[in-house]
Amino acid sequence: MSEQLNTGDKKPEFWRWQENCWADETKDWRSAKAVTVGIDVGSVSSQCVIVADGELYAYNSMRTGNNSPDSARNAFKGVTEKTGLTLDDVHMVVGTGYGRVNVPFSHKAITEIACHARGANYMGGNKVRTILDMGGQDCKAIHCDDKGKVTNFLMNDKCAAGTGRGMEVISDLMQIPIAELGPRSFEVDEEPEAVSSVCVVFAKSEALALLKGGYTKNKVIAAYCQAMAERVVSLLERIGVEEGFFITGGIAKNPGVVKRIEKLLGIQAMNTKIDSQIAGALGAALFANTLVQKQGPLAPIAA
Amino acid sequence: MSDQLFDQFKTWYEKRHDYARAWKQRTGGQVVATMCTYTPEELLIAAGMLPVRVLGAHEPQNVSEPHIFGMFCPFCRDSLAQGLLGRFDYCEGVTLTQSCIQYRQAFGSWRMHVPTVQWDYYCPMPNDVQSPHARKAHSGEVQRFREFLEQLTGQKLTDDKLNAAIALVDENRRLLRQIYDYRKEANPKVTGTEAVYAALTAQFVDKAEHNAAMKKVLAALPGRKMDREEGIRFMTIGSENDDIAFMNMVESVGSTIVIDDQCSGTRYFWNESKPNGNPVKTIAERYCDRPACPTKDYPSHTRFDHVLNLAKDYNATAAIFLQQKFCDPHEGDYPDLKRHLESNGIPTLFLEFDITNPIGPFRIRIEAFLETLREDDLF
Repeated sequence: MSEQLNTGDKKPEFWRWQENCWADETKDWRSAKAVTVGIDVGSVSSQCVIVADGELYAYNSMRTGNNSPDSARNAFKGVTEKTGLTLDDVHMVVGTGYGRVNVPFSHKAITEIACHARGANYMGGNKVRTILDMGGQDCKAIHCDDKGKVTNFLMNDKCAAGTGRGMEVISDLMQIPIAELGPRSFEVDEEPEAVSSVCVVFAKSEALALLKGGYTKNKVIAAYCQAMAERVVSLLERIGVEEGFFITGGIAKNPGVVKRIEKLLGIQAMNTKIDSQIAGALGAALFANTLVQKQGPLAPIAA
Repeated sequence: MSDQLFDQFKTWYEKRHDYARAWKQRTGGQVVATMCTYTPEELLIAAGMLPVRVLGAHEPQNVSEPHIFGMFCPFCRDSLAQGLLGRFDYCEGVTLTQSCIQYRQAFGSWRMHVPTVQWDYYCPMPNDVQSPHARKAHSGEVQRFREFLEQLTGQKLTDDKLNAAIALVDENRRLLRQIYDYRKEANPKVTGTEAVYAALTAQFVDKAEHNAAMKKVLAALPGRKMDREEGIRFMTIGSENDDIAFMNMVESVGSTIVIDDQCSGTRYFWNESKPNGNPVKTIAERYCDRPACPTKDYPSHTRFDHVLNLAKDYNATAAIFLQQKFCDPHEGDYPDLKRHLESNGIPTLFLEFDITNPIGPFRIRIEAFLETLREDDLF
């Protein structure tokens, strides 16, 4: 599973998650009547999704750079290289995420809350009612209707605790590739108590103390995953969890957190074969597709 | 708005300390820092003083922590910080009328640690204003405050002086309500930010001057043309709010704030007094009867229906709770008030405010809330 690591003389980057560019080889965007783009510039990752006639066609998921416009351009560039599609071939672009107003070539900005709900509705179907988006630096609990329209939501406040960035820090601290954290959190003789703080800074010092106290790395990871699960469950319980529970965002790929959330809530998260990290950009592209159907295509805006 | 109609209020707000210093130089009168809108300003005005409400600065500060706890509300901490930083060094006096315990601690620290304070007065107003004894008790406290000021200034606060002050303050309240009436209209001629400027400046500008400025605005408002879209009509609910950056953000993303239930807004000026021949009693009863702060709203919750009626009268589509972090009285009311509004068709959004607020994350929440309220073409 180790997809990181030895990068010449560079220090290994255990936190570095797999960037991914994909296109549906069975389809050709050239035969689609409507091609729309969703760009999600988040605090940690950026995605570009191409939707052709309302169906997922291609995406690129990569780390957010040091400015939002370049992150958006680079995310789109990845799919251009993969598919040959250029902005001139696109009928509408919607930006979302923290950098949504800084996507230079977008026609409209829609919040990631609305986009994640719409994306989850596509990925999990019209039974999805409660969405947990576990992003890079925040967490959102969202309720939606059968169309994916948001009916209620809550966000965590001002803090990266219990989010993807926190998991990256633990990964580096434990010197274990981030994709291995979840599986290894189950390789423990007994389930430990959660670390008492999920504050990224305090958790780091607490994790070190546990290691010194005789915990194995796996047990420390388990304690951190449990703390993260408890934190997001408390957020979810403030809004209420309905059947049709779906998790989006990078942490959805971490079974160490997901299974613990499921255990605490007593319900299973719905499955999908689509990368959970692209939900926001997918929702944005789907909104763009709906707008093209209702209002017609728009001329491209230069990147 | 490009017509600069409310610029006088904006300038007063932004340069409030300069205003107070200039007033003092011009009149030779004392300036008094007031720490709650239950303060019977009429007494101070009758004594020739300028009541100036202590507001925060919404800047990071590191001076209040040795004096009051970090888990006191941000408004209390910021208010104390402004005193400790010398921003109100022109105030001879400081006064608080009892509302919440955190405010009282902030006041206590102000009078102990702000070196320029020459006198202070704590007015122990009953919190149970619904008690049959409250009005009498508060009349006694207002009378005691009157006597304190007489002793301080060496001048009698005659009934005539009190009646004149009552009339002046009532006129201020009446004019503010007239400005607020324009917010009932479709695409209102007064934005939420402009209304906050008008209501907040009333709390530290000389009332006669403030009244004159409001009359000018009221004369121009009928012909005012708005160059902005109305969007969704919001109500704001909470304690103090003068976070102009937040208000501007909300009104820049497709909404208009049309009414509030906040002590920086309607709760300060909503009701006029009912003169009854005894000015002390008149003043005391006006404050007992005003729209209640949660600290003074038991055993009956009178404010729940008051807030709902405001939302209906001003045709608000939804309400935003601007919750000062750690403000227990408002947090205590929140679940029931939320339920009351939502069961009557007013959706709500809860935002927790600190001394400085993250505009980006707040903007996501506001925009997402707007998306749930709009019937867009997205579905």
